Parts: sequence; structure tokens; C-alpha cells
Amino acid sequence: MALAMMEVGETRQIQAFHGKEEVKRHLQDLGFVKGGTVQVVGENASGMILLVKGVRIALNRGLASQIMVA
Amino acid sequence: MSYMIALAGNPNCGKTSLFNELTGSRQRVGNWPGVTVDKKEGTYKKDKEIEILDLPGTYSLSPYSAEEIIARNYLVKEKPDAVINIVDGTSLERNLYLTLQILETGIPTVIALNMMDEVEDRGDEIHIEKLSRAFGVPVIPIVARNGRGIWELMEKAAETAREKRAPMKLPVFDKKLQETIDQVKALLEAEGEPDSGWKAVKLLEHDENVREQMKEDLKNQAGKLTAKRYGQEADLEAEIADQRYQYITKAVKDAVTKHSAGCVETKSDKLDKLFTNRILALPVFAVIMYLLFACTNSENFLFLGIPSPGIWLAGVVESLWGGLTGLAERALAGASPWIYSLVIDGIMGGLGSVLGFIPLVLVLYILISFLEDCGYMARIAFVLDRIFRRFGLSGRSFIPLLQGFGCSVPAVMATRTLESEKDRKITAILAGFMPCGAKLPIFALFASTLFADNNQTLVTYSLYVLSIVMAVLVSLLLNKFVFREGTSNFIMELPQYRIPTLKSVLIHGWEKVKGFAVKAGTVIFVSTVLIWFLSGFNLNSFNGKNAAENEDGSIMCGMNDSFMASVGNVIAPVFRPLGFGEWRPAVGVITGWIAKENVVVTFAQLYQEDVTEAYLEEYFSQYSPKELEELGFEGGVYNAEAAGDIYSENILFEGSDENALPHMRDDIQTKAAAYAYMVFNLLCMPCFAAVGAMKRELKTWKETGRAVAVQMAAAYTAALLVNMVGGLFL
Repeated sequence: MALAMMEVGETRQIQAFHGKEEVKRHLQDLGFVKGGTVQVVGENASGMILLVKGVRIALNRGLASQIMVA
Repeated sequence: MSYMIALAGNPNCGKTSLFNELTGSRQRVGNWPGVTVDKKEGTYKKDKEIEILDLPGTYSLSPYSAEEIIARNYLVKEKPDAVINIVDGTSLERNLYLTLQILETGIPTVIALNMMDEVEDRGDEIHIEKLSRAFGVPVIPIVARNGRGIWELMEKAAETAREKRAPMKLPVFDKKLQETIDQVKALLEAEGEPDSGWKAVKLLEHDENVREQMKEDLKNQAGKLTAKRYGQEADLEAEIADQRYQYITKAVKDAVTKHSAGCVETKSDKLDKLFTNRILALPVFAVIMYLLFACTNSENFLFLGIPSPGIWLAGVVESLWGGLTGLAERALAGASPWIYSLVIDGIMGGLGSVLGFIPLVLVLYILISFLEDCGYMARIAFVLDRIFRRFGLSGRSFIPLLQGFGCSVPAVMATRTLESEKDRKITAILAGFMPCGAKLPIFALFASTLFADNNQTLVTYSLYVLSIVMAVLVSLLLNKFVFREGTSNFIMELPQYRIPTLKSVLIHGWEKVKGFAVKAGTVIFVSTVLIWFLSGFNLNSFNGKNAAENEDGSIMCGMNDSFMASVGNVIAPVFRPLGFGEWRPAVGVITGWIAKENVVVTFAQLYQEDVTEAYLEEYFSQYSPKELEELGFEGGVYNAEAAGDIYSENILFEGSDENALPHMRDDIQTKAAAYAYMVFNLLCMPCFAAVGAMKRELKTWKETGRAVAVQMAAAYTAALLVNMVGGLFL
């Protein structure tokens, strides 16, 4: 399922990214790697706040729907 | 023997605090060649032999942003004697990803484990020895913001540099991957490529930068090697990233004892519940913005009946400058009229008007720096992203635009932090619309004179609102007709909330004001002298005619006959549809391009010229002796010598009096025209210093010219509408 569908407090594993190569690289540098865990710690109208590798990262919803989790 | 030590680390890891602590005031800020990224160098406080370089903050050494390219080129090509890699102890895993890439370059490295106070507060424990063993380099725990551990760190770094202690090779990758890397490395070595180990990894990562500079057949051979082991379609880049993270995760698990298992809600999470709340975030933001501007330019600070810090400081500076001007007046009492005029009217008067609002800009920027350093600004960029997205911008554009309320120069410079080129270009244009500190005196002047009988706060406030409305409209139009690539993504780290130290806030605030202060010292200084010259001289100044006509033998002429009047007369017709097609307002617009505050300086000079002795005598005759004394006439007796000063100080721009500016009323006859004049100055091309900054960010003069054309068109259209529609009501 897409990361954007996750609820606040939920933790899942990152599976894939469907999007531009450069965005994928940037996400990778920020800690979004296949098999890594991601937790949703907050959300609002702009998007979601995620906890990845111990760091809080804000993403807009459009991007969050390109990241697949399981 | 001198050493070069480079600081490298993620954004928000405390790198700049460490740099400031280590170098103190011995810093030099330059530019990296070819790009607009600050290059900060300094000398170590305790040892002049050690030079310290602050590399830009990056998340990795991949070549996809200007900062990353700079950091890696510096490490790989210039090879510093040692690198201090600053790592945020509260988010070890992500920070150590960059560490592994730095270690791959083979440069002697020391890890500075920062934010140890916060790690301890959480009750976590980091086993330094274990971490050091896992990464094969010394690890020194520090707290950069209070200086704890930084001298030990520097001792270790100097020792590492002296002994050229290269990092140990680490078993990061699995056997298959490591063998592939080694084979490619051997291939490169055989061809005599330098830094073969590092390049081998980069080649497998499909690093465009390294691939570009490599011979075709080498690339093909390396490609065949990997294809043999991993197949044609293998995504080795993801594989490498994955294995790096796996190594880090294991090392961190070994070295860190967490106080409580799982993720506990931190203080930051609690604050985020409020500051990024679905409903409350925007009201809270509005309150914070209100406080920000109340501290900066409110006459009645929070309804306490006292001036705000910004206004108070401005008053202090103005009175000091007034004293200095008085001294200069006395010292020059016997000098020739034109020298007296140059120093008192030109230099002291011109710079004085700038000094009046530098404190406002300073206070605003110190507060903005506080919001940035404490972590709130990243949240507000995120919260506003949804709104900005509707206008085709990213929430990140908010930060440059907010800075635009201080000065356009740092605002335009701040656009470089935006990731998408489209956002950078549009934001640089919109930054020029913001009511910068230098435009406020224009509004104040008009509000207090031509709008004396209206609510003046409302007049000024309406212009603030208008600047934002225009920014939204122009952004929408540019997105619809010029840039059609769609909105960019929003990805931003939300750093932990921290109360920044006073020192770091002051340093950051000053860095933003500096560009403005330098501009005040150069562009504005030269331009005030130029305006003084153009408005006090004409051709007859140099053929002796003026000297013969003037009683005191001065070669200067009246403003009405000056060079300036000639220039104004030529361009005035352009502004006729806007309601202010006379030479004096036209001159005001032109001098505003040199620096916006010049508009007021010019008006003061242009209209004061018309206040003749006869006019003054008639004007003051309406006052009783008691009123005259209150105005400053000694003994309540009219005195022609003092009248000019008293008029310009107490009446000319103080407003409330219908007769105060008879000639300004002649030139700008209706309120609609007056408002159109303010609107035009608000939106049109910013000052030349800001245009220079736009050129640096937009790279070419062609792009800069297009941006300025957009600003001019927006200003002309808005002012025209105001004059036409407003003319029906006002």
C-alpha cells in the first residue's frame, strides 16, 4: 500500500518508490531505504511527518503516495 | 607546517556552532567558484597554524545539489589534511550515512559526536569506544553550543592530520559486492586513475559526475564486470545504500543503549502537536507573525504604551546621528556653501535616513534567525506548503518572502535554499514586492501628509496586504503562462526544537543584515552624493553664470533648474496615466531604484526647496507667540534664520496640517494618485543592490531582465488600476 494511506502512530517497512530517479536518490540520502522502517508521527493538511532513521521528515501527500510500504 | 581541517556534516547537525566556537571572530566568508554557496574559512583560535573550512551541510556526497558537489569535490580534489565529521548524537543512523561516504574518500577523519547533552537528557548511553571501533576512526563526544569537548576534539584532529592517519577499511559491503568493487578498483588502478577505490564505488552507484569524467572503454569494462555478477538490470545504487544502512544500523545497535525501548514521544513531538496541528497551526502562526512585527515596528508595543524594541532602537540611533550632524554643522560653519551642502544635506542627510531604519531591519532579522535556529521555521514552511502549493509555490518560499519585509537583498539570496529552479525564479521576483524596511518611510511620509485625515495605520496596513495579494496573483499568472512544469515536492527535515544560544542568533541575524549594511555604506552613500549633485547643479554651475547670479557666489542652482529636473521632465509623461506625471514624483521613482529610501530623501530635498523665506514668514504668522515658542522659536518671536529648520523638523513631514506640503499637493493632486504612487514604488523594480542579488541567483542578465520586466509590468498595471478605479471613489 502507499505510505499516504498509513495512520498516525503506524509503523511499516518501505518497499519501493514510484517516481523520478533524482527524488528517489534524495529520499535515500534522507534515510528512506528499501526494508527500512517508517513511522507516521503526525499529519495535517500539507502532508505527513514521518520518523525515519531517528529523524523527523515532512513530506507532502503527493510524494507520500509514491512511496510503497508493507 | 600548517594544516587544513574541513568540517563536514548534515544540515542542522551543529556544524556552524562548532565553526563559530573554534574560529571566534577570525572568519572569512567568500563564494565557492561558480556557485552562490557561501565558503566560510577561519583560523583556529588556539593555533594559528590550523585553518578551518566549513563545508556546506549535506546529507550525502552524491552529485545532485550544488552543496553536495562542492563538498565532495573539495574532499576528493583538494584533500584537506583532516576532516571533522560532525554527527548529531540524537539521530545517529541518518548522520552516519554521510560518515561512511566521507570515510570512503580515504581522508584522515575524526568524528565529533555532537548534542551529547540531549543524548544524556534522554537517558541514552553511547559507547564511544564501540562506535570508534565500528567506524575505524576516533570519536570525540562534544556539545558544540557550549563548547564542551571541542578542545579535545581539535587536539585529536590536529594529531590525526599530523600523522596522516587514514581511516581503516571497513567491512561495510557483503562479500559479493566488495569483490565487485575490488575488481573495478583494480581495473581503474591499472589505467592509472587516481582515487581508484572511491571512484570504483561511485561508478557502481551510477554517479553521473564520475562517469562523465571517465573514459568510455573503462566504463564499458566496469559495466560488463557488474553485469556478470548482478545481471543487466541490477540496481546497484539502491543495493549499496541498503548495505551502508545495514552496517550503520548494526553498529548503532551495538554502541547505543537506549533508555527506553521503542519510540518515546519527545518534547519535539509534543510541540509539533501544536505547531503543525491541523486546525491550530495557522492561528498560532498568525499570533507569532503578529508578535514578530509588533517587536519590529510598533509605536505602541503590545498596547503597553511603550515603543517596540525596533522603534526604540531607531530613536536612539536617530538622536545619536542628530548629535553628530550638529557637530558637523558647527565644524563646517565657515566652509564654502557647496562643501557645507555636500556634507550636511548630501552625506549626513542621506545616510541619516538609512540609519533610521537599519535598527528595524536588524531586530526583524534577529527574530527571524531565532525562529530558524529554534526549528519553528521548518514547521511553518511545512504548514504553509498546502496554501503556497495552490499558488504554484512551495512552502519553503515563505522564508525568503518573510525576509523581504526586512530587505530584498538577503531575501533574494535566501531563494538559493529552494530546491526547484521554478520556485527560485518566481520567489526572487516576488521578494521584490515585499514592503522592505526602506519602503516603509515612503508609506509613512505619504500617510502622514496626503492621507493626514485618514486612518494612517490602515493606509500602511493596506499596502502590506496588497503586496501579498500581488505576490499571489503574479505567482498564479507565472505558473499558468510562463512556468508550466507543475509543483515540486516538499521534503524537509524537521529538526528538534532547541532554544538557540543568544550568540548564534546574533551571529545569524548579523550575517543577514551585513549585506544590507554594506549596501548602505557603498551604494547608498554614492547615490546620495550623486542625487545631491544632480539636484543642486546644472550646466550654468560650470560656466560661471550661477556664481555671478547668486548673492553668496555659490555655483549651485535651485532644484527646479537642476539636472535632476531635466531628467524628471523627460520621463514624467510615462507616469501621467498613473496620476503623478510631474517631474518631482518621477525623480522620486528613479532615485528609488538606486535605493528605495531615497524616495523620501528626494522628496525632502525637492519640496523643501520650494519653502521660501516669504512662504515661511506667512506660514508662521498664523501662530500665536505661545505656539511659536512651543514649536521652538526662542522667546516666542519669529526668527527667519531658525524658521527653515523648525519648519522641516516639525511641520514639513509631520502631517496633520493641510498647508504642510503645498507643492506636493500640486504634483499629486488626488488621493488615488497618491495611493498609486505608493503602489508603484512598492511593486516596481527593487533597488539596484537587490537587482544585483537577483543577477547572482538567476545567473544571466537575460533572466534578470525578464524578472525586472515582470515587476515593472505588475507595478504599472496595479498603479494604473488604483488611479483609475480609485479616482471614481476618492
